[in-house]
Amino acid sequence: ENVDPQKTAFLLRKAWTLYSVTPLYRFHRARLRDYARLLSAFIAAEKQKGLAVEVGVELDVKVVVSSLADLRGSEQDQAAVLVQLSLRSQASSRNSEDKLVWSGWFCSVYGDDLSENVPEDFTCLPLFLTHGAESYTSMVGSWFQKTFDCCFRRLAISPLNLSWMVAMWAGCKLDRAASAVELVFSVPRLSQPLDISYAIHPEDAKALWDTIQKTPGEITQEEVDVFMDCLYAHFHRHFKIHLSAAKLVKISTAVVSAHCDGIVKILQSQYLPGALMLLTELAISQIQ
Amino acid sequence: MDETVAEYIRRTVLKMPRDEIKTMLQKWGFLSEAQLQTLNFHQIKDNISQEVVQLCEENSADIKQAAVLDIIYNHIYQNKRMWSVYQMKKSGEEVDYFDITDFKKKFKRRLRSALKNVTITFKEYEDNAIWIRVAWGTPYKKPNQYKPSYVVYHSQTPYVFISASVLKSNMPLLCQALIVASNYHDIREMELRSHSLNSLKDIVFKRYSQNFHTYYPKPLQGENVEPESADIRIVQENRSEKERIHRLNWEVFGGGPQPKLEFAQYKLETMFKSDPKLGVLDKKEPFRCLVKFSSPHLLESLKSLAPAGMADAPLSPLLTCIPHKARNYFKIREKKGLLPESFVSP
Repeated sequence: ENVDPQKTAFLLRKAWTLYSVTPLYRFHRARLRDYARLLSAFIAAEKQKGLAVEVGVELDVKVVVSSLADLRGSEQDQAAVLVQLSLRSQASSRNSEDKLVWSGWFCSVYGDDLSENVPEDFTCLPLFLTHGAESYTSMVGSWFQKTFDCCFRRLAISPLNLSWMVAMWAGCKLDRAASAVELVFSVPRLSQPLDISYAIHPEDAKALWDTIQKTPGEITQEEVDVFMDCLYAHFHRHFKIHLSAAKLVKISTAVVSAHCDGIVKILQSQYLPGALMLLTELAISQIQ
Repeated sequence: MDETVAEYIRRTVLKMPRDEIKTMLQKWGFLSEAQLQTLNFHQIKDNISQEVVQLCEENSADIKQAAVLDIIYNHIYQNKRMWSVYQMKKSGEEVDYFDITDFKKKFKRRLRSALKNVTITFKEYEDNAIWIRVAWGTPYKKPNQYKPSYVVYHSQTPYVFISASVLKSNMPLLCQALIVASNYHDIREMELRSHSLNSLKDIVFKRYSQNFHTYYPKPLQGENVEPESADIRIVQENRSEKERIHRLNWEVFGGGPQPKLEFAQYKLETMFKSDPKLGVLDKKEPFRCLVKFSSPHLLESLKSLAPAGMADAPLSPLLTCIPHKARNYFKIREKKGLLPESFVSP
């Protein structure tokens, strides 16, 4: 679990779009260079077919596929696989600094539930995270689907799971500049749409959670429910509105922020493994 | 014609939707009808604006005229800006006769005595609104025409609506000039902000339908009391509850349209109270929260909360007081003493 913060720095403070991925058939870690070449050719062909990403200037898309050995939970987990797309200008070779335009990585952090039950030829990396234009995501996804007979699905995060995240990370140790614990609700079925942002001072949210959590390092559903009920009750006392009947769409803490459409931002490296573990679990339940 | 003026006019015209350029230029009145006829409005805006600049060149436009065109644009697209409301106070009961010329003179004099480089432009509208545009410079730099402040003053009222530029440091000077020019002695910012200038006016001028605690009209024949179509599964019990909610809503909000606000913000510094059985947080310190409600039409959406089953009726006074307290920013603290459940809003 000792993840080198240097190597994973690029993961932090970026908004990642989440997908669940079914196991990859006959994926060979020794062939990463080959895969990069094939994916690059695929993208070039797609662009020629007219599914151009960049209008106008013809830019070469360079593909790099690499292994992130440290990014895993247990020894059973497969190491993460990172795919990066850069644009290299064909024009001048002088100023040829490649511009990174899209990143996507497959990972599994304590995904034993899935990997235990899968035949040998399959590689389990159930969580896929992307950052960059949707058109690139679509091309990379298509290639992987064709090549490894896998299936991608957007990973939605339910209000139940969002409240787990709030509870889990509201109690984290805070540094001086910690941001508020924020819950964003959307109220459906009204004549005019209404959004409610409920932000709690991080010290006060932590103080509340600390009195609820019985065992450090362990969280129960009951504790999460009590935490949320307390927040709902405080809100109701003032506004007479039943927040529990509204849709929780986004949460933000000093550690992680997450949106119900499956978009996540991880802000601190020490909580990266914990966050990935939770997300891997969500991905696996969506697959099964 | 000054290059910077030409560029400013060009950019102002570019902001306008193509099919509205002609109307705005006519309202401006700086170019003659004959000149306007020569303009081809069926080309791309870039070209239209170039032609307009050419005509302005012929008439030797200066920054003063360009500023008027800018006011016209912003008057029509006032809802693109965020407006704050300020209230002025008089020391005595005297009702001064308002002299527009005197007002303008004093305003300009006060501003210019403090800051040499300012562009000040006035335009009066039919509803007694005086629009003032101020472009700010420094002792060493000419005014920045692209970040002006706009002030809307209805002379028969103590209210001023200001859409400030980013340079907040000019606010004290602007406020001073306003009270000097209008013969008031003090001005304070109200906790009321919105993009909808008309709604802000509705609220402070009390032009919206207000609550009537004593009179609830019987629904007219055929008038649909229940917003959704009648469901045969709704029994008498639910029906009377629906009617109760509807009546309470009517008492609080009135029957007419609500002023259009986009948000309300509450800074809560109240105590956290919970069921002692839960055994949770029991601090003596406030539970600090910031709550923000947003909607394209906030008051209408709040009004529909109780009928939708999302809120208790009557709705909390913290929400229903928004129009008559003329504020949408609140700081809520616990009221000390006999009634621990009530809140104070300073």
